[in-house]
Amino acid sequence: MFVGVTGYNHESSAALVDKNGVLIDFYREESLSRIKGDKSFPKRSINKLLYSNNLKIKNIERVCFYERPLSAFLHIVKEASLHMPRSLGLLTHQFRNFNSSSVACYLDFAKCFRGLETKLIYSDHHLSHTLTALAYSNFKEHICSVVVDGFGDRSTASISQIVNPTEINELWECPYPVSLGLFYSSITDYLGFAINEGEYKVMGLASFGDSNSKSAKLVKRLLDWDSTSSRIISDMSYFDYHLSTSNSFNRKLESLLGPARNPFDQLIPGDSDFQRCADIARGAQDLIIYLLGKIFNHAHKITGSRKFLFSGGVSMNSASIDSLAQLPFVDELIIPPSPGDAGCAIGAAFYGYIKSNFYSDLKIYKPSLFPSLKEKRNDEFLTKQIISNEFTVLEISEEDSFLKAAELISSGEVIGTILSNSETGPRALGNRSLICDGKNKDAVKKLNTVIKNRSLFRPTAPAMRYEIAKKHYKLRPEIYDCYKSMSATCRCLKGNVSLEFPTTHVDGTARIQIVEYGSYLDKLFSKLEPLGVEILANSSLNVSGDPTCFDLVDGLMVCSRTKLRYLLTDIGLLKRKT
Amino acid sequence: MKKNHSELTIFYETAHAELASALEMLAACKGTDTPKQAFGYFMHAKDEYNHAKSFFKMLSKRGKKASIKKARDFRFIPLSLIKKGYISPKGFLIETMKLKDFIAFVYTNELLAKSSFKKILNLVGFDTKEGKRISSIMKDELRHHGMAKKFFLNQYPELQPWQLRIYRTREIIHNKGRKLYDANLKFLDTFLTPLYRVMSYFAGTIARKLNLNGYKRKDKNLMNISPNSIL
Repeated sequence: MFVGVTGYNHESSAALVDKNGVLIDFYREESLSRIKGDKSFPKRSINKLLYSNNLKIKNIERVCFYERPLSAFLHIVKEASLHMPRSLGLLTHQFRNFNSSSVACYLDFAKCFRGLETKLIYSDHHLSHTLTALAYSNFKEHICSVVVDGFGDRSTASISQIVNPTEINELWECPYPVSLGLFYSSITDYLGFAINEGEYKVMGLASFGDSNSKSAKLVKRLLDWDSTSSRIISDMSYFDYHLSTSNSFNRKLESLLGPARNPFDQLIPGDSDFQRCADIARGAQDLIIYLLGKIFNHAHKITGSRKFLFSGGVSMNSASIDSLAQLPFVDELIIPPSPGDAGCAIGAAFYGYIKSNFYSDLKIYKPSLFPSLKEKRNDEFLTKQIISNEFTVLEISEEDSFLKAAELISSGEVIGTILSNSETGPRALGNRSLICDGKNKDAVKKLNTVIKNRSLFRPTAPAMRYEIAKKHYKLRPEIYDCYKSMSATCRCLKGNVSLEFPTTHVDGTARIQIVEYGSYLDKLFSKLEPLGVEILANSSLNVSGDPTCFDLVDGLMVCSRTKLRYLLTDIGLLKRKT
Repeated sequence: MKKNHSELTIFYETAHAELASALEMLAACKGTDTPKQAFGYFMHAKDEYNHAKSFFKMLSKRGKKASIKKARDFRFIPLSLIKKGYISPKGFLIETMKLKDFIAFVYTNELLAKSSFKKILNLVGFDTKEGKRISSIMKDELRHHGMAKKFFLNQYPELQPWQLRIYRTREIIHNKGRKLYDANLKFLDTFLTPLYRVMSYFAGTIARKLNLNGYKRKDKNLMNISPNSIL
C-alpha cells in the first residue's frame, strides 16, 4: 500500500493506492475537520485511511509527500531576500514559522504516526500534479502535461513530456514569482473575495464584464507572453504577494484600477461599482485565457503532442477550458477531478507506487470520481435519534426514495443528497449535492439564494445525460471527460432554448455536468425523465463558507441550518420536521 | 473610527469563537458512542452555528462602514479558526480531552460566554434588534450550561456540586491564564519583533547569495530525481 500526502501550503489530503495501481481511498482534511481549506498536517485523513482500510503502519510500503519541502521554503526566501527591506515582514514570517512549514512533515509523521517517517519519500510538486492527471487519462504514454498553479516547490507553471510513467521530462518552466495563479488570486483579493476561495466568484463575475472596457484593458497589460524567449513576463511592481504575508497587491494597482472593493459590500448587478468590478474580472479572465493559449501553443511546439494533461489550481478555471479545446492541435485534454493541491495526494501515492515497481509491472488504473469509502458508523447508528426527533422518514427503499425524490423535484422542490461515497474534487457531482429542476426558475432561485445564500451573479451548474447535453450545448469531444467532473464550461447552441434556462450564465455559457453512466444522478434521471425533468441544477451541499458535506451528520446539519427540507440518503428519503 | 475598530474586533472574535464551538460540538457528535449524546451535541452545534451566523451578520453591518483597508482585515477566512487558536492544531477537544473534562469545559465555558455577551449587549443596546438577538443567544448559552450540568451529574452521579465548582474555578483560572499569556505574548512581541527583523535581515542577506539554479528541473527526467531529497 502507498500513501500520498499533501499539506501545509494549500488544502491537505491523503490518498491510498494499492500494490495493483488502484486508488483505494482518498480524503481531504477539510471534509473531516469541517474547516474549509484546512491545510494542517492531514492527521485525520491518514488516520481515516488506516482505520477504514484496516491498515497498520507496517502495511504501508511507502508514504510520499507531494513536494520537496526545503525547495518550496528556499525559493520563497530567496525571492524575498532580493527585495529587502520591503520584504522583511515576509522573511520574518518565513523564518519564525519554519517549524510549521512543510519542512516539518518528517517530524509530524514521527510524532503522529511513528514508523511512517522512515518510509517517507518526496515527489516534485508539479510531478505530483502530472501523475494525478496521468492517472485519470486513458493514455499513459506519449502525452504532454501542462501544470499551472500559484506556486509549486520551484516554479509556477511547467510543461513536461511523458514518455511513459517512469520517464517524465520537464521541458519548460515559469519561475517564481511570475505566476498566473498568484496573479488571479491577487485580483480575487483586490475584488474583495478571499484568496483560494473567491476565484470561482471572479470567474462568474467576469461574464458580466466587457473585454473592451478601460478597466479590462488595463488589467490585460499586467502580464504578457514574450514570444522571443517563450516566457511569461509580468510587471511585478503592481503585486506584493512575493514580498508580504498580508497584501497580494499594492497601492500601484489601486492607482491603476481604482480602490479595492470593500469585502463586506454586496455585489449586485446594476449597482454602482458592479460594472467596474465585472470589467476587472473580465480583464483577468481574458488574460488567463490568452496566456494559457500561449502556454499550450508552446507545449505543442516543444513536444509535438496533441494529447494534453492539464492540472494545477489554474486548471480549475473552467471558463478557459473551452477555448483550449478549440486550439487546432488539441485532440484530447484531460483535467483530473481534483486538479488543485488536494488532488496531488493521488499523484504522490502513484509516485510511491511507480518508484516501487518495474516499468513492465506498472498498471495505473483510472480512479473513480467517488473514491472515498462510505462513512458507515455515523450513518447507521449515531444519527438514529437525530433523525427520529428532527426528521420524518418518507421512504426507506432506494427505489421508492428515488421515485419520491423525482416527484418532489418535478414539483419544484430542492433536494439535498448524501449518497454513498463522496466526490474526489471540489465539485459535487450528485453524491453530495443540492439539486432541483434545472429549468424551473423559482426552484433554481430558491436553491441559489434562499438555501445557499450565493452571490446573485453566480450561476448554478446544470447536470444531465449526454443525449440531452448534445441537444442544447456545443460540446467538444476533446474535453468530454471534463464535462463528467464539471471541469469545463460550454456554450449554448445558437438560438437554443437552453439560453433561457436559469442555469445558463449571462454570457450564454453553462458549466455542465454530463452524468456518468450508472452513477446515482444517472439513476435519478431514469425516474426524472418520465416526469419531464431532463436537466437538474446541481450545487454542492454545504452552507456558504463551509466545506462540502462529508457524512450524513453533515447533511442533517445543513438541512437543520437552512431552509432545505428534503435529504436523499442511503437510509431513505428524509423530510425535516419544522 | 476607533470605536468602530473595537466593535469590529469584538464581533469578529465572537463570531470565530461561536463557529469554533459549533465545530467542537459537531466533532463531539460524530465522536460519541450513543445516539442520545449525538443528538444532544447535534442540537448544541446547530445553536452555535446560528449564533456564529448572527455575529457574522453584525460584523458585516459594521464592516460596510469601515475603511476598505480595515474591512479587508476583518474578512472571514476559515483557516483563521486554527491560526487564532479557536481550534487547536492538535485536534478537537473531544479528541484530546477526557469526556469528564470535556463536559466540565462545556459546562463552565457556556456560563463564561454568557457573561461576555453581557458586555456586547451593553455595546449594542438592550432594546435594539441586535440586543434582542444577543439576549436570546444568552438564553441559549444558559440552556447549554444547564444541559451540560445535567449530563455531567447523570454521567458522574457520585460527584458533588462543590466538585463542579472546582471545575468551574479551574476553567476560570485557565481562561485568565490564557488571556494573560496572550497579553504577555503581545507585549513581548513588541520587543522581539525588531530583533526578529534584524535577524531576518542577516539571514536574508545570506539567502540572497543562494544559488538555486542547480536544482532546476529543465531537461531532466523528474522520475530519476532522488525521492529522498527535500530540495
